[in-house]
Amino acid sequence: MTQLLLALALGALFSVGTFLVLRRDVVQVVWGVAIIGQAANAYLVTMGGFGGFAPVGGGTTDPVVQALVLTAIVIGFGTTALALVLTYRVYEEHGTIDVEELGTGGDT
Amino acid sequence: MVLSWLSKTPKSDLPLDVLVTPPLVTTLAVVLLPFAGAVLAPFAVRFAGERAGYYAAAVALVCLALVARLASFGEAGRGTVAVEWLPSLDVVLALHVDGLALLIAFLASGVGVLVFTYSAGYMHDEPGLAKYYATLLAFMGSMLGVALAGDLIALFVFWELTSVSSFLLIGHYTDTASSVSAARKSLVITVAGGLFMLVGFLLLGWTAGVSGEQTYVISALVERAPEIREALDGAGLFLPTLALVAVGAATKSAQVPAHIWLPDAMEAPTPVSAFLHSATMVKAGVYLVGRLRPLFLPESLPHVGNWTLLLAALGLLTMSVTAILAVQAVDIKELLAYSTASHLGLIVAGFGFAEAAGAEAGAFHVLNHAAFKAALFLVAGIVAHEAGTRRIENLRGLRHDMPVTAAVATVACLSMAGIPPFSGFYSKEFLFDAAYETAHAVGGAAWMFPAVAVFGSVFTFVYSAKFAMLFWGKKPDALGHVHRPPLAMLAPAVALGGLVLAITAAPQAFVDAIVGPAYSATVPGDAHGFSIPALKLSPPLVMSAVTVGTGAVVYQAYDRLHDGLREVLTAQPRLRANIWYDGAMATLPWLSRWVTPAVQTGLLRSYAASVVGATAVLALLGYAAAGVALPVPTSVGAGLTGAMAVVVVVAVVAAVGVLDAPSHVAGVLTLSVLGSMLAILYVLVDAPDLALTQLVVETLVLVLFLLVLHRLPAFYGDADRGRVVRDGALAVVVGAAVSVTVLVSTAASPNGALARYLSERAGLPTDHGSVLVDWGGGGNAVNVILVDFRGIDTLGEISVVAMAALAVLTLIRMRDRGETP
Repeated sequence: MTQLLLALALGALFSVGTFLVLRRDVVQVVWGVAIIGQAANAYLVTMGGFGGFAPVGGGTTDPVVQALVLTAIVIGFGTTALALVLTYRVYEEHGTIDVEELGTGGDT
Repeated sequence: MVLSWLSKTPKSDLPLDVLVTPPLVTTLAVVLLPFAGAVLAPFAVRFAGERAGYYAAAVALVCLALVARLASFGEAGRGTVAVEWLPSLDVVLALHVDGLALLIAFLASGVGVLVFTYSAGYMHDEPGLAKYYATLLAFMGSMLGVALAGDLIALFVFWELTSVSSFLLIGHYTDTASSVSAARKSLVITVAGGLFMLVGFLLLGWTAGVSGEQTYVISALVERAPEIREALDGAGLFLPTLALVAVGAATKSAQVPAHIWLPDAMEAPTPVSAFLHSATMVKAGVYLVGRLRPLFLPESLPHVGNWTLLLAALGLLTMSVTAILAVQAVDIKELLAYSTASHLGLIVAGFGFAEAAGAEAGAFHVLNHAAFKAALFLVAGIVAHEAGTRRIENLRGLRHDMPVTAAVATVACLSMAGIPPFSGFYSKEFLFDAAYETAHAVGGAAWMFPAVAVFGSVFTFVYSAKFAMLFWGKKPDALGHVHRPPLAMLAPAVALGGLVLAITAAPQAFVDAIVGPAYSATVPGDAHGFSIPALKLSPPLVMSAVTVGTGAVVYQAYDRLHDGLREVLTAQPRLRANIWYDGAMATLPWLSRWVTPAVQTGLLRSYAASVVGATAVLALLGYAAAGVALPVPTSVGAGLTGAMAVVVVVAVVAAVGVLDAPSHVAGVLTLSVLGSMLAILYVLVDAPDLALTQLVVETLVLVLFLLVLHRLPAFYGDADRGRVVRDGALAVVVGAAVSVTVLVSTAASPNGALARYLSERAGLPTDHGSVLVDWGGGGNAVNVILVDFRGIDTLGEISVVAMAALAVLTLIRMRDRGETP
C-alpha cells in the first residue's frame, strides 16, 4: 500500500508550509498554517486507502478517517478565519504586520 | 480501602486475631489532628486572641496523649498499618509504630505542648498570630508524620511538608529582609536535599522490585535488608543510594557544609527556634539516619564500612567544626544554633558507628539534646525578652534578677557540656565508647575517630561554660534592671529543666521506657539489652576526663580564642560555607538573565523553528533508534489513478506558486487552487462528504482573505538571502520527516477492523441487518458517525466554530469599546 507519490507530495506541502510560517509577513504565516493543515488532512485521507467505494450504503472506504478529516476541515476553517482577523487587528493596533517589528520593536 | 499490611506477609504465622499491629485510627489521628487544628487556628485566634496559644497547646496535648496511648500497647502495638494510596505505583500510606517513631513523636508533641504554652506569653503584641499558630501546628503535624511514616513516599511527603512549614515560620516577620533571606536559605537547602533523598528512595524501591516484590514500605525493606544490600551492590548502586539519602539527612540536620541555614533560622520567633532546633525539623535528619541504619548497615561487623566512613566521619566533622563556630558566636541564639548543629553531628556520628554503643549514643542523645536544647532556647528567649539584648559580651550575672531561669540554664548547660553525672554525659560516653572500640578494632587511621570526638567535645565544653556564665559572675552596670519572666514563659523552661534533672537522676528508667525501644529499632538484627554502665575507670571515662580538663584550661583563654577565631574567619571568608551559598544564589539569576533572552526572543519565527525543527528531528531520530526500515515502494501508489496523480501534482505546483506570489492577492488565489485540487482529490478517493465540505470552506476562506487583504499593507519581501537558505534547509528537513512518515505508515496499514465493521453494517436494510440505519437513521457511515455516534463531539466542534465567529466579531466590531491599551 506504499504511497510514494503522496509521500513526496505531502513532504513538499509540509516544506512549503514550514517555510511560509517562518516569513516576516503575518499573512504568509497564516498561509503556511493553512497549507500545513490541508496537508495533514490529505495525509489522513491517504491512510484510509484508495480504490474502494464511497462509504455510503455499504462502500468499503474507511469512514472513520473521513469523519475525522471532516471535523478537521471545519476546525481548520475556524482557525484560519480567526488568524486572519487577528492579523487585521494587529495591523490596526500596531500599524504593521511585520513579525520582526512586532517582536523586537519598542511598540508594545 | 483499609488493609493491614502485615496480614499480607507470609512471615507472620500468628492467627489473625492476635496479629501485632497498632490501631489504625489512633495512629492516623496523631498525624491528622494537628492539621485539623491548624485549619481551626485562625478561628481560635479570632475568639481567644493571644490566648490561642493555649488552644494550640491543648491540641498538642491531645497528640501527646494519643502517642502515649500508642506506646501503652507495648510490643503488641508495634508494626505497620497501611491505607491504599496509589495502587498502580505500589504506593501505600503506611504508618509505622516502633520505639524510634514513638521517641520522636513524644518529643514533637511533648515539646510542642511546652512551646505553645510559652508562645502564649512570648507572642505578646506580635503580628500574624493566626498564621503563626496555624503553621506551627501544621509543622508539628508534619513532624509527627515524619516520625510515624511507614513508607518512604509518605516519609518524603511529610519531610517536605516540614521544609515548607518551617520556611513559613522562619520567615514569620515578612517585612524583615534578614528573616526573608533566612527562610529562603533554609528552604533552598532542605528542599534540595530532600530531592536527592527522593532519588535515593526511588532507587531503594526499584532495587526491592529487582530482587522481589517492589515496595516502599520501610519495615518490608528492612526485613529484606541483606537481599536489598546485595541487589544494590550488584547494580553498583550501594554507595550512590546511601550518599543520596545521606544528603537528604545532612541538609535537614544541618551537617557540614549544609549547616549554614541553621544559625540564620534564629530569625524566627524564639519559640519556633526552640521547637525547630530541639524536637523537630533538625531531628528529622537524624531520625532518617536511625531509621535506615538497619537497612544499610550489615548485621555482622566490618567495623568500618561505607556507612561508617560516610556518616561517622560526617558527624564528627560537623560536631567539631560547628562547636568551634559556636565559640566565635556573638549572639546567644547564634551560639545555641551552632551548638545544635554540633550535637546533631554527635547523633549522626553515633548512628554512624557500627558498634552497638554508637546506636545507644544516637538514640539517647536524641532525647537528651531535645530536653536541654529546648530548655536553653526558652532561656535565651527569656533573656532576650527581659534583658533586651542577645549579645554575649553584654550579658553577665543574670542570676540575681532571674534565679529560676539561671538554675534551669545551669542544669541544661551541665548536661550539654557532658559533665558527669548529668544526662548529656551518658550519651557522650556511649559515643566515646563506640569511637574507641572502632579504633581499637581497626587501628591505624581509625584512631582519628576518638581523637576528633574528644577535640570537638572540648569546644562543646567551652561554649557550654560560656552560656552558663551569662548567669554567674558580676552583673555589668550597663545592663540595667531586668524583669522577671511571666509564668507562661518560665513554666515550660522549668518543665524542661526538670526533665533534664529527671533523666540525670534515673537514666536507666528513661532508657527502659523510651530510649531502649528506639535503640532497638536502629539496630540490624536482634538488639542486645541497653543498660547504663556504672562509673568505672575505662577508656571512655578517661576521654571524658581529658575533655573536661582541657576544656577548663581552654575556657580561661575564651576571649582570646573568640577574637582569634573571628579574625581568622574575617581574613579568610572562603572558610565560611555561606560564601558558596551566596555565590550560587547570585549566579542563578545571572544565568537566567543570560539564558532567558536567548530562548525567549519574542520572535515568532524562532519559536516556530524550534518547535517544528525539534519535532521533525526527533521523529527522524526515533525511526533511526527503532531501526525502522524504509519501505521500498513497488509502484507510485496502490490504487492511485492517473487523474489522482495529476491533481496531486497540480496541488504541489500551486503550493510552490504561493511561495513565489508577487502580491497578497496573487498568493491567496494560488492558495485556493491548492484547496480546490484537494477537493477534487477527495472526490477521486471516494470521499464525497469531504469534497463538499472542502469546497464550501475553500470558498469562504477565499472571500474572507479578499475582504481582509485590501485593508492590509502591501507585501513585505524577504531580502535576506542567508535567512532564505536557513529556513529552506529547515523546511526540507521537515518535508523529509513527513515523507518518511507517510511512507512508513502507509506501508503498514491497520487491519481496518472498525472500518470493516461499519461498512458491513451500512448496507441497505435487506442486506446486512441494517444496524447503521437502525442506530443512526442513515446509510452514510460518515454522517452517522458525525451526528450520532459522536454527536456530542460534533456539538463541541460547532461550539468551537461559534466561538471563533464571536471572536472575529469582537475583534473587528468592538475595537473602541471596553479597555483599550
